[in-house]
Amino acid sequence: MTGNDSDLVLDGNAAAGLLQEIFVLEITTAQIQCEACGSTGAVGSLRLHAAPMGAVLRCPHCDASVMRAARTPHGRWLEMTGARCLRFLAVRE
Amino acid sequence: MTETEKTTAPARRLEWQLVEVRQIIVETFRVKSLLLHAPGWQGHLPGQHVDIRLTAEDGYQAQRSYSIASPPEDELLALTVEKVHNGEVSPYLVEELRVGDQFQLRGPIGGYFVWTVATPGPLWLIAGGSGIAPLMAMLRHRARRNVHNPALLLYSSRSLDDVIYREELDAMARRDPDLRVVHTLTRKQPEGWKGYGRRIDKELLADAYFPPGRNPNIFICGPTSLVEAASGLLVELGHEPLTIKTERFGPSGWAS
Repeated sequence: MTGNDSDLVLDGNAAAGLLQEIFVLEITTAQIQCEACGSTGAVGSLRLHAAPMGAVLRCPHCDASVMRAARTPHGRWLEMTGARCLRFLAVRE
Repeated sequence: MTETEKTTAPARRLEWQLVEVRQIIVETFRVKSLLLHAPGWQGHLPGQHVDIRLTAEDGYQAQRSYSIASPPEDELLALTVEKVHNGEVSPYLVEELRVGDQFQLRGPIGGYFVWTVATPGPLWLIAGGSGIAPLMAMLRHRARRNVHNPALLLYSSRSLDDVIYREELDAMARRDPDLRVVHTLTRKQPEGWKGYGRRIDKELLADAYFPPGRNPNIFICGPTSLVEAASGLLVELGHEPLTIKTERFGPSGWAS
């Protein structure tokens, strides 16, 4: 994956660096449920609209915005209006 | 932890670290691989990426993500970089960087677009241009571990000269009867070319080899146009959307 320009449409996986600065657990495999259409999928499978300052992550099924993250000089922002829940998977060994 | 339970990936803070260029491989006339020494590297999974950060003398910083092309078994970390016209970072990486230079890197990042030999079932990889890089990490990992699950790489390039890792892929396929490498050359085909000579379409995907009933793990990486076309067609052919993992990158000229 080579993000060489701004304002690209990518996969949620490409926002992993920005999001992983905030979350302690692996974020790209976490399951997120879309408030608008109810579908559930991995954060890495969301559609990412990337801009220099941050990312807008949209539902791949209905295109609703489920996560917005930004890095600003005053701090990091994460807004999740549009998401019903986020589930971090656990595996038993 | 009180229970024998853990998350799919360890919780580890992402820290910037300095890496040193140990070797530079010219892959095509626009693509180079950088082999990096990353002290204390914790290891990675095939398909993961890193962020790199370059700082100019005036303090200006630019950050980009690059897939890791080397398998976890290798000591040096390989990034394969295509020079993007008017790019801010890739021309520096491809043209200016020398062996011994250092820059900042953090990772590995992303547990989603990942395949290891522990994953059961056939492996179907579809690459466009430099989107081959994370898929190459998977194929190299598979070869190092000498596993023989059926694997197929469908690789779309503009011309034969644009095929990255061409000799290594040919050698891998010669050694391993369970691996098929299928090229399609979208713009220019050499004389007598017997392979495909067009963009990935439904017939080309249907010609190929893993029907939905075999439950292949599908990974597609390339320019947005290729990823959308291929993933849409695979769903039409009956593949489960959840078995298809995609990684898009921006318009680097493949579409024209």
